[in-house]
Amino acid sequence: MRQQAAITAKVFIQRDYSSGTMCQFQTKFPSELENRIDKQQFEETVRALNNMYAEAEKLGSQSYIEGCLACLTAYTVFLCMETHYEKVLKKIAKYIQEQNDKIYAPRGLLLTDPIERGLRVVEITIFEDRSLTR
Amino acid sequence: MPGSSSKSGGRGPSSSPLPHAVVPSSRPLRPSRYVPVSAAAFFLVGSTTLFFCFTCPWLSERFSVAIPVYNGIIFLFVLANFCMATFMDPGIFPRAEEDEDKEDDFRAPLYKTVEIRGIQVRMKWCSTCRFYRPPRCSHCSVCDNCVEDFDHHCPWVNNCIGRRNYRYFFLFLLSLTAHIMAVFGFGLLFILYHRQNIDRLHAIVTLAVMCVAGLFFIPVAGLTGFHIVLVARGRTTNEQVSRMGGVTDVNALCRYLGRKKCAQSVSLQPPFLRPQLTEAQLAAKILDNGIQGDLRCCAHCVCFSFHPPECSLLNKAPPTPTMYKYRPTYSPGKNHTALTHAYANQASQQPGFRSQPSLDRRETSSERVGGGGGGERREVGREGGGGGGIPGYSLGGRSYPSFSDPTVLSGVASRSSSSTHTSAGTVHVSEATTTSASFKSLANQTPPPHHPSRNGSLSYDSLLAGGDEFDKGVGVSSAAPDVSGGRPCTPAAGGGYSSPFLSSQQREAEMQSQSTQSPHHHHRSSHHHHPFLHHSSSSTSSSPPPPPERERLLGEPHLPAAPAGQTSAPPPPHHHHHHHHHHHHSHHHHHHSSSSSSTSRPPRFAAPHAGPHHAYPYRTRSTDTPLGSSSTTHPPRSPHPPPLGKSLSYSSAAAAEMQYRLVRKASASAGANAAGVGGGGGGGMGGGGIQVPKDELMQMKSLSRINGGQPFSSTSTSSCSAPSSPCHPVNTAAPPRAACPSPALMLSPAHKPQGSGVKKVTGVGGTTYEISV
Repeated sequence: MRQQAAITAKVFIQRDYSSGTMCQFQTKFPSELENRIDKQQFEETVRALNNMYAEAEKLGSQSYIEGCLACLTAYTVFLCMETHYEKVLKKIAKYIQEQNDKIYAPRGLLLTDPIERGLRVVEITIFEDRSLTR
Repeated sequence: MPGSSSKSGGRGPSSSPLPHAVVPSSRPLRPSRYVPVSAAAFFLVGSTTLFFCFTCPWLSERFSVAIPVYNGIIFLFVLANFCMATFMDPGIFPRAEEDEDKEDDFRAPLYKTVEIRGIQVRMKWCSTCRFYRPPRCSHCSVCDNCVEDFDHHCPWVNNCIGRRNYRYFFLFLLSLTAHIMAVFGFGLLFILYHRQNIDRLHAIVTLAVMCVAGLFFIPVAGLTGFHIVLVARGRTTNEQVSRMGGVTDVNALCRYLGRKKCAQSVSLQPPFLRPQLTEAQLAAKILDNGIQGDLRCCAHCVCFSFHPPECSLLNKAPPTPTMYKYRPTYSPGKNHTALTHAYANQASQQPGFRSQPSLDRRETSSERVGGGGGGERREVGREGGGGGGIPGYSLGGRSYPSFSDPTVLSGVASRSSSSTHTSAGTVHVSEATTTSASFKSLANQTPPPHHPSRNGSLSYDSLLAGGDEFDKGVGVSSAAPDVSGGRPCTPAAGGGYSSPFLSSQQREAEMQSQSTQSPHHHHRSSHHHHPFLHHSSSSTSSSPPPPPERERLLGEPHLPAAPAGQTSAPPPPHHHHHHHHHHHHSHHHHHHSSSSSSTSRPPRFAAPHAGPHHAYPYRTRSTDTPLGSSSTTHPPRSPHPPPLGKSLSYSSAAAAEMQYRLVRKASASAGANAAGVGGGGGGGMGGGGIQVPKDELMQMKSLSRINGGQPFSSTSTSSCSAPSSPCHPVNTAAPPRAACPSPALMLSPAHKPQGSGVKKVTGVGGTTYEISV
């Protein structure tokens, strides 16, 4: 789908390694977004993403059972079933889509799912705001 | 079996968990890659089939039907895990898109330090994939991908073993060991009961199968034991062999989802909503002196299609120049002597590696070790080595008599503006070769070429100069935003969209650095002000005619396309270099916080881009050289034995072990942080035939070559980049501070020559940058 607006810039939210190698993103508000979106809003989005990734990577009984079952069935169970991690990733994708629709697109921003970038960065595309004269 | 092909040659297919942003479709078909996996599959399936056909019927009658059932289950297990290990994506990182590193291209340091739970870990810049490799990530030269939690590239499954498929690989090893033992045991039972009629076909076949099983048992069991130890220690093979493993988190092994490319369904139409500005923000904007606005106006607006650009052409990273072909005075140290045979192995095996040296692997693993005290040293050494490779170019203040020649300049320019990295790289190599000799002396005394201001002041100047421009708008006082690019941005309006970030960083840098070397600074800042906009301007001043020099020296995207004097390049060419490098480095300095000691050589080279018409400047940062050039230029490196005796294949555990010990001794004697690099790799490696990318070996080789008696020698190997990419000579590995003698730096890995002006700037999220002052 062609974009309707021109891309001005891209901001990359890097990973936050302060609490280990878990998938967490920095909640620091980048300066490029200063006049595009509220700081609170942005931080809330990133925190929600962080929580979801933490949930995805959680090692609980479900992931254990999934692993054992996969092993016993020579991994054919993957043809039928989705793992917990995959389910949460889908949830994250939906959340990002929803955030884009509701909050970011009206402000000329677009979040890119970090899985597209290998969970390295959250890419925020800033679109040119032709309504403003600079 | 569900799973994604690890060799997907195109956009990540639906089964690929991490879609490849780019997979070079022009990868040559190398049938030799498939020989080991075919042989493994053949032996496995063939021997087991024979076992089932000839041995099992009698066994099931004589003893129990459980025997073939048991064997069948185990064999099924082996096959399942083998297939998963072969076809599952190991955790390949998609290539970063152009715009992700646009702001860093020449200005970002080769290493970025992050703090993980209080431990400083260095992340190396991967020039092929164009991002800073996350911890434990490494670049596989065979697959030409960065792989998360890179373990090794296994030729028997023809796949990298990484985070996503390590469990399958491990289970494959376990089940294969059990299978071999079962086949051998039951075959032996059969033979014992058929001693009288051993010349029957069944017995002969069983004997043959037993031989095959017995032959494979020793290496497989050895490798299994090795991996059991690795799992117990929570390390990857890469970490184990390249250094002592260090502190690593035991990652939760998560499976990534097979992703489908989903089309964007959001429509963006201006006008867009804006948040209400508070009074403070308005005031800040006013004080901003219009920088933000100016920068935005000046920004390049690059129109991308709505879909994430995944053009393979765009994502192809320019090959790094073969900078380190010519190190100054390389004196093979004693630690090389025993490693010649390993070297011979390596030399004989030239697999067609792609561009990326496994340097990154080394690097990443080295980062792990204690925050990289030793590892950093290695890195640094390597960096220095690389820089020293083309000493003439980098020396900011030095004169480059030969390079000032307009013909050379034009020649270089034309070359640069041409085509691919490979060609450029090749050119570089040749250039370097011819001119190396003349720069030996220079290289010896000068810091890495990419630091134009060998005298630390220059880097500071550039830092300050950039900061001065924006210091008015010091409204933003937050810590250096490590964020947007995750890398220091050029202060100038180079990257359009990064301008606001730049300005704040500039301010930060300026705040950080109190010293004032304004003249240079201003000059540089002005010069840098339009790195992107005015390629030509910078090109003029940049004298380095030879491509390698040019690449190394300048972070500027422009090449000396036209010797004509340009706007901001009044100073002599070498001065220009200074600017570029300073600019390059100054940012580093500002944004670097003191991390571990040795990482004091932040910026590597700014490789001048192949031409202004390129979308982004050539990233000079990495020392890796394009594989194409490297492969062609491999001969120059051959004369030197691999530094730490890292053997290409782990088939010979004993030899590797010996090498390892020698290396350890050598490193210990050198007083360096012998992180059990290369040599360690051999130890304990079963016959798994783990294929160490040859570039790693080359790295080690070149590093050792450079290091000579340097204390780094043992550690530097790991940090060496690809075979063709020269490693900085250790003696030139000194940080950009000219004032600081490089040997002194190298001698004390743990010693942080803060006095010589290494500033460490902490960014957000614990990222630290080292800025040499």
